[in-house]
Amino acid sequence: MEALSNLMIGFGEVLTPFNIAIIFAAGLIGTVVGALPGLGPSAGIALMLPLTFGMSEASGLCLLTGVYMGTMYGGRITAILINAPGDAPAIITALEGYPMMQKGRGAMALGISAVASFVGGLFGLAVLIFLAPVIASYAIYLGAPEYFLLMAVGLATVMLLAGDSMLKAFFVTCLGVLVSTFGSDYVSGQIRFAYVPELIEGIDFVAIIIGLYGLGEVLYNLEKKVKLELGKPRFSIREFVPGRSELGEAAAPTMRGSVLGTLIGIVPGAGATVATFLDYALEKRISKRPENFGKGEISGLAGPEATNNAAVPGSLIPLITLGIPGSGGTAIMLGALIMFGMRPGPLLMTTSGDIVWAMIAGLVLANFFLLLSNILLIPVFINLLRTIQNNLANVVIALCVVGAFSLSYSPFNIWIMLIFGVLGYLFKKNDYPTGPFILAVVLAPLAENYFRQAVMLGQGSAAIFVERPISLTILILMVLIVAGSVFGRLRARKLREMRNPEE
Amino acid sequence: MTAHTGVHETRSTNQSPREDTLTKITLTGSIGLAGIGLIALAGPIAAQEFPERPIEFVAGYGPGGGHDTMLRTMARLIEEQDLVDVPINVVNKEGGSSAVAMGYLNARAGDPHYLMSITSSHIATPLTSNIGLDYSDFTPIARLGIDPELLVVNASSDFESLEQLMQAEDTLNVGGTATGSIEHIVTMQLAEATDLDLNFIPFQGDGEVVTALLSNQIDLAIANPGPVADYLDSDQFRALAISTEERIDNLPDVPTFTEQGVDITISLFRGLTAAPDISDEARAALTEMVTTLFETEQWQDEYIEPNAVVPLVITGEEFADYLGKTEEVYRETLGELDMLSQ
Repeated sequence: MEALSNLMIGFGEVLTPFNIAIIFAAGLIGTVVGALPGLGPSAGIALMLPLTFGMSEASGLCLLTGVYMGTMYGGRITAILINAPGDAPAIITALEGYPMMQKGRGAMALGISAVASFVGGLFGLAVLIFLAPVIASYAIYLGAPEYFLLMAVGLATVMLLAGDSMLKAFFVTCLGVLVSTFGSDYVSGQIRFAYVPELIEGIDFVAIIIGLYGLGEVLYNLEKKVKLELGKPRFSIREFVPGRSELGEAAAPTMRGSVLGTLIGIVPGAGATVATFLDYALEKRISKRPENFGKGEISGLAGPEATNNAAVPGSLIPLITLGIPGSGGTAIMLGALIMFGMRPGPLLMTTSGDIVWAMIAGLVLANFFLLLSNILLIPVFINLLRTIQNNLANVVIALCVVGAFSLSYSPFNIWIMLIFGVLGYLFKKNDYPTGPFILAVVLAPLAENYFRQAVMLGQGSAAIFVERPISLTILILMVLIVAGSVFGRLRARKLREMRNPEE
Repeated sequence: MTAHTGVHETRSTNQSPREDTLTKITLTGSIGLAGIGLIALAGPIAAQEFPERPIEFVAGYGPGGGHDTMLRTMARLIEEQDLVDVPINVVNKEGGSSAVAMGYLNARAGDPHYLMSITSSHIATPLTSNIGLDYSDFTPIARLGIDPELLVVNASSDFESLEQLMQAEDTLNVGGTATGSIEHIVTMQLAEATDLDLNFIPFQGDGEVVTALLSNQIDLAIANPGPVADYLDSDQFRALAISTEERIDNLPDVPTFTEQGVDITISLFRGLTAAPDISDEARAALTEMVTTLFETEQWQDEYIEPNAVVPLVITGEEFADYLGKTEEVYRETLGELDMLSQ
């Protein structure tokens, strides 16, 4: 096992008191940064970057990857506690975690999601350690046609997030597509709806998420005078450390989520987002209680949360094997590698293998620290929330404003956040689902660009979608799923008719 | 908007920088002198004005591409050599053939804490789309060199030479970054100079182009030496032609387009521009910072050589004039290719 011995050498590099302290601190900092709405992995890594100057390569990279991993753990905290997801992958966490919080099981939701995050992260790392070169050699065969189909599958999960009215879901999806078309388009170089110069960049979807969920929720709660169910200030361990029954319920979804996250995390752009939505769709589909989804179902929380964290090592695979970053966070990691004097590319593992293995060992270590600290800190988070409970609306609004401002250090995104905050309130008040809206905003532009690229690659012919084996496989799977659900529905109707012949 | 107004508008913006030039040259001269005096007399005060907070390097293309690696190398070397006492952050504002980054920088008018890497798309994008901004809206700082274009194919490809490639009868897929980019222009010139039927596909950044060529999704790519160097070294890609007038030292085995009978000598320039309307002191400080860097040995070793950039540095008004001339060339080429927006 060459990978294993390399990993051991990596651990040898990392296991110094200084590096262990750094990884621990990085995890905590990442957790806090990730918990703040608007600040995600990109911001966390960028903030830490100046601190790494003067450190050895291994220490510096451990600090950055530790923060990256930490933000993925932190992202769930505000999503569960105050329904303010900081990034697109955390939306699903809010969807199931916040209802648990409202039922007084917020601590347990945090506990379960921490364990799921840990398992997902560790699984992704194992794949990264043993299979990175193999996966990378296949991943390059994914191109525009496959990416387009994946985005289309992701968009199709709108159906599952629709809630009661399909028509309302359709309406908000179209609205989301419209919002996503703002700004410049690299395929044609043309610019759409840029009424003010800031709009040339398009509308930052993180500002939309902060407004829609964070501010929208506050406005709605103010009207309803919602009181959070926080339980007693002193916790028994059983309230936040998942027991055998919870773990049993979460085990299978966590494993499924880990596999899905690692694989789809490799897809550039929106890998983690698509993966969490797809995993949620999968869990809802195979669940025995699909009607409980959206009301605090453990499998709907654990699966996507594992997916989310498994996508971190997944997105590192193209970075360390090919030098191609797949997400905002890994893009900054790429910059860090260059700044440490390494040359990311196909020869990175040959020229700087020792440092990369030290970084991977650091990630494994960070994952263990993060599980421990995230479980132990649950009472702190909940009691922190209890202290600010009476001023919660003010605190959340302040966090939303700061988060929106920090996206591009300009007040423009605060306005965007406010506009979508009001929209989020109106959506919620009138029972329009927000999930389809945000999914359309994130995925529609990617789908559009990949579609045009695919047709251009096919020299004007759409046949490219069926000529490429992977693309054809995805198409066939899509047809089978649609056929399966139509057939299933027909069969269910027939069964009902047979039971109640008079109806 | 009619075509007539469009041309008229561009003409008037073209004239204004020329008029400005005279006044600016005299201004820069006197302020430059005054600046030296100021620095000598009250260095700390001048230093407090700029930079007063971290400087941001703005890359108009995705991470891993030419803009990004250039700025990140600059940032690292500037910090290592203490050329400035504030941290430098590199941000990627990708998309729209650099229009996104131009919009971003334009929104920061008067603030000298932003330095954007520019290449030929800085000239081409305003001509091919309606973004309402062009190079003359910004404050040109320096050109650090020119960057040739390579025609590369996958090593498994049947094409061993440009001559062989020119015999191809099928339509070939060509990858490059963004519509209206220099890669696009090279592709159009190649199609025009030969009988080839070329289908240009815009990608978002060099990383995507490299992946597409690795997996044979495209038949050839037009790319700068930097992003493909490792793949050329490891014999995964083969370079068939280079767009310089003579062969370059780093790639002595790659023949030029011209010696193979195809008249393409258009290269990317690599330069830096700052936000609109910054003070002349700040402009001088930025110029000083980058030119000091360009003279260091580390810069030669770690950027110029590995990226096969030909280091021809020009600054200030000379650079602004160069941009003006480049725009004329582009206007002509893009007009011929029927790519002008108006």
